[in-house]
Amino acid sequence: MPEAVQPSSGTNKPFPPTPKPFAPEDEAALREALKRCSPSAFESAVQFRKTGNAEHVPAVVIGVIERFVEPDLRTKLKDADDDLRLIEDLGIDSLTMMEIVILVEDVLQMTINNDELRNLRTVGDVKTFIDCKIRGLPLPKPTKFLPIEHIGAVMPIQPPFLFLNEASVSSTAANGKYKITGQEFFLQGHFKDNPVMPASIMLEALGQLAVLYLLEGHIPEPGKTVNPAQIFFTGCEGVRAHRQCKPGDILTLSIKPKRNKMPLATFEGSIRVGTEKAVIAEEISLIFGYADAVNQPVPLNGATAESGVNGAAASIPAADSPPLRVAINA
Amino acid sequence: MCSTNRMPRVFITGLGFVTSIGNDAATVTRNLRELRHGFELYPPFQKPDIPCKVVGTVKDFNTDSPDPEDWTFPLRYKIKRELLRSMAPNGLFAHCAMLQAVEDARLADPDISHPLTGLYAASGGSPFLTHWHHERLLKVGVMRCSPLGIVAAIVGTLNFNLVAAFKIRGASCGFSSACASSAHALGFAFDDIALGRQQRMFVIGAEDGNVDAILPFAGMRTLSLQTDPNIASRPFDAARDGFVGAGGATVVVLESEDEVARRGVKPYAELLGWGQASDGYNVAISHPEGSGSTAAMLNALRASRVEPEQVDYVNAHATSTLIGDVSEARSLRAVFKNAATRPAVSSTKALTGHGLSLAGAQETGFCALALREGFMPGNAHLTKVDPECEGIHILRATENTPPTIVIKNSSGFGGANVALVLKRVA
Repeated sequence: MPEAVQPSSGTNKPFPPTPKPFAPEDEAALREALKRCSPSAFESAVQFRKTGNAEHVPAVVIGVIERFVEPDLRTKLKDADDDLRLIEDLGIDSLTMMEIVILVEDVLQMTINNDELRNLRTVGDVKTFIDCKIRGLPLPKPTKFLPIEHIGAVMPIQPPFLFLNEASVSSTAANGKYKITGQEFFLQGHFKDNPVMPASIMLEALGQLAVLYLLEGHIPEPGKTVNPAQIFFTGCEGVRAHRQCKPGDILTLSIKPKRNKMPLATFEGSIRVGTEKAVIAEEISLIFGYADAVNQPVPLNGATAESGVNGAAASIPAADSPPLRVAINA
Repeated sequence: MCSTNRMPRVFITGLGFVTSIGNDAATVTRNLRELRHGFELYPPFQKPDIPCKVVGTVKDFNTDSPDPEDWTFPLRYKIKRELLRSMAPNGLFAHCAMLQAVEDARLADPDISHPLTGLYAASGGSPFLTHWHHERLLKVGVMRCSPLGIVAAIVGTLNFNLVAAFKIRGASCGFSSACASSAHALGFAFDDIALGRQQRMFVIGAEDGNVDAILPFAGMRTLSLQTDPNIASRPFDAARDGFVGAGGATVVVLESEDEVARRGVKPYAELLGWGQASDGYNVAISHPEGSGSTAAMLNALRASRVEPEQVDYVNAHATSTLIGDVSEARSLRAVFKNAATRPAVSSTKALTGHGLSLAGAQETGFCALALREGFMPGNAHLTKVDPECEGIHILRATENTPPTIVIKNSSGFGGANVALVLKRVA
């Protein structure tokens, strides 16, 4: 199970408390509501409503999302990994997201608050979110998308030695991108007349992503916050470089936490360029320390779930515009 | 820019139609010439408690469901769900008419989505969807209501949808003066081009034409109660008993003379100018002497530098109501004082019914067809002219005489009157 934050409201009761008997008219209403979804979505919804078994939920959710995606993009959903992004990859805007939510609410007989939706960015976010709602589990910390301004503001590492252009961080993983510009100072000498990104720097970039995870994705002990000044590299194992990376290449970095107990955090990491494997690190270990959390003023926009781990981060405007705030120009 | 300091001339360069008498310019032209109407017994009205029976229906479209994904329309129009979901039926009609007009005017995407291309639209919104969404709100609660219910239903739905769908970047606005709405939109679009603010304007009128849009007029006792579609709408006839409701859409493309020259297109007609005036009389009843309509025509003629004697044809507003037709006949006698040179007059609502907000744009489109094709449509279904309407030259049949100068009249609730002056392009 992903680590979790407590939802802002304490009303997240398991559903259904006791399954209601599923009447024939319910089935007819369900059929009508899902008439433009795949038969399997309908079947799964029937099963869920009859048994309350949450394992039918992903099929319903995917079926509902599929119904609102333009036909030529639907193939992406067929073998979707959970990182498939709703807006960027599937063309779902905030209004369509609301249509999806209304139909899911109707079909699964649940209520979803706007605040809870604001950070659902990927198919995986949606599936996990609905699953937690159904099971009455605390909601997972949503994926945060961090642009360079945000990264620069929270990281103890700074240019010219910062090798992340953008990143997304959840409680279970962090992903980042870095484009090799060719202007990096060390490329002048590595190698002579042949600029190649040093493998040690690529490992450094993975380490930096792990630092960002600790600051933005890791859930500290209550009342504590990870101290950015106390995170250091301590070791790595199973590192292999598979590909030379040169100016113009875009490194896609990802790390996943394996064990995480103060003062030691262990990750596995990899770097790809496009679909090609560039670097694998079976294990990267950092040590870190906590500081006392400073009481933060509650943001005026009411985004209480963003538990601002770092003092600097709180002063940065939310980088990701809330996907569900519709511009009302009325 | 214009070569001299005078105001740029304005031309009609494209048309699109979804009307009760045809869903393309060729069909509409044929039905105008041959005086074939678009009326039928409207199935939802065939109930004992509904007094009116006949409607000018849009064919080949089915928008009976409140869910746009249930709608059917001709296959040649491809519309994504993303666009369809926020439309009212009048939005669908207008979108299809827009596609026709864009093709007809031979406009490319950069011309359409351009800072100097604007869009003015007029519809009464969608009482049908307002009703449906509100009922749903009361039944299932506001949080289960479609997030797009508002933009699909309220007045302005037409411009919201079309501006977004066609990526319009110039002026955009909706007009609401009831049955004069789209004529007003044409007038102000003319001004925008004449003043150099825009070089091209799409002007759209559209209405749902369904139960919720039409039936409330029965409460005003303004609808014809005729059960025979062949005689239900008969403007200026002594036996007329009210108007016949209709839906659909018309798009008129206006362009500056420089754009016409640059693109090398042949316009339908020139829009010389326009005028408006109000009755200052009653919220719903037209002035008995047609004072506002008279003033609107005189203003339009003056702005267009045209003498009344030069006018060949007037496409009347006349909706087939008892009071309105008489008011307009009186105003026509007042404007065209010389009985010997009075222009030919007809109301094409005898064929189409009354499209409310749609009427002005639709009938301006008809005038553009008449000017290009060289005919004047007759006033159908006229058996005996109402004595109060005598003295004007009502065409009993279509005349294949090319008119040179044409006036289009429109009047709406509150006593709003608009007159547009059009000229044949040599």
